[in-house]
Amino acid sequence: MSILKLENVCFSYGTKTVLEGVSYEFEKGKMYAVVGKSGAGKTTLLSVLSGLASPNRGTITYNGEDIRKLDKYRFRSKYIGVIFQSFNLLTKFTALENVELSMDIAGVKGRTKDKREQAMALLSSVGLEEDEANRRILKLSGGQQQRVAIARALSYNPDVILADEPTGNLDGETQKEIMEIFRELAEQGKCVILVSHSPEVARACDEIYELKRTKNERSRKAAV
Amino acid sequence: MYVVKNALKCIGRSKGRNILIGIIVLVISVSACIGLSIRQAAESAKEESLSGMSVTATISVDRQSMMQGMREGGGFDPSSFQAGMSKLNELSVEEMQVYAGAESVSGFTYTLTATLNGSDDFEAVTTSTQEEDTGTANGMPGGPGQEFGGMGGGKMGIGPMGTQGDFTIVGYSGEDAMTDFLNGTCSLTEGTMFEEGTKAADCIISDELAIYNDLAVGDTIVVENPNLEGETYTLTVVGIYQNSASTAVSGGFMRGFSTSSDPANAIYMSYPALKDMVDTSAANAQTQTDETTGMESSTAVRASAAGTYSFADVEAYERFEEEARAMGLSDSYTITSSDLTAFENSLVPLENLSTMAGYFLLVVLAIGAVILIVLNIFNVRERKYEVGVLTAIGMKKQKVAMQFLCEIFVVTLAAVVVGAGIGAVSAVPVTNSLLQNQIQSQESTKEQREMNFGRGGGFDMENLGATPSMDGMGLPSGTGQMQNYISEISSAMNFTVLFQLLAIGVLLTLLASVVSMIFIMRYEPLKILANRD
Repeated sequence: MSILKLENVCFSYGTKTVLEGVSYEFEKGKMYAVVGKSGAGKTTLLSVLSGLASPNRGTITYNGEDIRKLDKYRFRSKYIGVIFQSFNLLTKFTALENVELSMDIAGVKGRTKDKREQAMALLSSVGLEEDEANRRILKLSGGQQQRVAIARALSYNPDVILADEPTGNLDGETQKEIMEIFRELAEQGKCVILVSHSPEVARACDEIYELKRTKNERSRKAAV
Repeated sequence: MYVVKNALKCIGRSKGRNILIGIIVLVISVSACIGLSIRQAAESAKEESLSGMSVTATISVDRQSMMQGMREGGGFDPSSFQAGMSKLNELSVEEMQVYAGAESVSGFTYTLTATLNGSDDFEAVTTSTQEEDTGTANGMPGGPGQEFGGMGGGKMGIGPMGTQGDFTIVGYSGEDAMTDFLNGTCSLTEGTMFEEGTKAADCIISDELAIYNDLAVGDTIVVENPNLEGETYTLTVVGIYQNSASTAVSGGFMRGFSTSSDPANAIYMSYPALKDMVDTSAANAQTQTDETTGMESSTAVRASAAGTYSFADVEAYERFEEEARAMGLSDSYTITSSDLTAFENSLVPLENLSTMAGYFLLVVLAIGAVILIVLNIFNVRERKYEVGVLTAIGMKKQKVAMQFLCEIFVVTLAAVVVGAGIGAVSAVPVTNSLLQNQIQSQESTKEQREMNFGRGGGFDMENLGATPSMDGMGLPSGTGQMQNYISEISSAMNFTVLFQLLAIGVLLTLLASVVSMIFIMRYEPLKILANRD
């Protein structure tokens, strides 16, 4: 049974249609790649899947339930972990604090000390050392920030991991390490959805969905 | 809980901004604290003084309302006013005693005042160089008596109000009527006090008078009816008192006008003794009618009775008028309390200051609120990205707004607490300093007004605020020409001020936060993050 399902989803910014009749299904334990050219609506699809934007038409179900009926904040904070392309970390906070805050927002129970240890373990599992974990975000490299974003998305143990261009800013070695982390997560039973235009990322996934630019978008491009 | 934790973390991470907000709130809270303290001090001074004040009042003819009534009834006519006034006598002691039976009255004392002349061996203290002038010289000081009233005509003989003697003789109903002794203005230095209620012609005289006439305790003095030569009374000096007001007065207008108005020439005795003298004089008096005016005059010693009603508090005093009217007191009489009037006057500078502090407070709060709102708007706009991230990872907008509210609240609270401390320390000196300025300005205006009327030099600026104080507050003594103002306060800060300050802090925080909350609620995380990308 699919954990996340899109049925005939359409989305437009005003008169500009970005997604048209998109119907995808995502299952737990698999790694998916959503690929497409620039402007195909990959990031918009991620926004729709994460509940940051609501489709104009069609339905998205999470575990068989329409996500419009769910509390979107609860959905984002508990059921789905999003790794944004630009990471969207709180720059005044340390890596550890970013992860801890995410756990707090999700309502993870436990003593502060336990949660801190849990957050530290997560950061360690994505390859960050204690010294790096206690550094403020702006003091970390792009790859390290990507790892913090992954750790944050995993901090409340969601079933679905959504990542937007997860390897976009990383060197080859780091890309490889990050993809290994995603693979491990899929093997642990998570549904990992990677939005990317990279063929390497697509090849590493179990299934690939290709987004095509809508007619409307294509005609607009042609006019340009 | 994590909202508060996060708020505290954010305060620490944005020190510059929060210090700026803190300084602004600190300035507002110190100003507000001083403003509130001034208002509170004025209120407390009034309440405390009123609660501890026993009010006294007198009943007298309401001349002003009579004049007003005549004016409204077709024009003021001096002769009919005089006729009306002659019919309307001051209340007798017996009549006054009736009203003393009112429920609100807690005490009643009365005095009888007469003026008598001295004799060859007993002369009034005078500083005038014209003391040998005849008493018929109108308005000049000294001499054996001047005729008062004018209506009977200076040299024409005895007027209806009689002739003013050299001495003021006061007969007291009891020791509680002797306010000068009770408040410490006078104190017995030699001999004993005359017995309360005695009919014996015992009296006490001032030390100045004793020295002037070389008198000692046990000596006798002879006083004469100023309206009838040869009608004399012999009094025994049983005590000598010292009058601090007598030596303190620097020779005012009235003192030069009549020796009897000089405190040194006041002779005190018991009411029954003086009443006996006045009754004897009345019994032996001759009367004559002025052919021109038709007014009757008598050679009897003129005496005037005065009754003082005491009340436990101001409320009782306020009830008294209603009770007295119900008991039959005519509308032609008025009830007045000189100490209440003096007290109200003493509060004028403090109340003026309190009003000014109120306006100042409003201006400070208005400006403070605007500054805080603007700072908060800048704060939220600057942290737009943070709002976007927090809501994108699932934090509800309300919680984000609550976090921002917590941040501003903690900063405001800390600033208010520090501000309250600084305010508490500085409120009293600042208030007292402003109060002194207010009093000086009040006195300058008054002095200028006096100067304009050619009566300059009546005030001693150096003595301002030198009144004896009770609980740190200079209470009015009600003596002399100079108004005694409440010139200092001992404490201004209390829990009421603290509570009000806290309420102001909370109000400002909420007001400033409402605007930022509106901004937060309108933010959409997708738009913020997309714009950032």
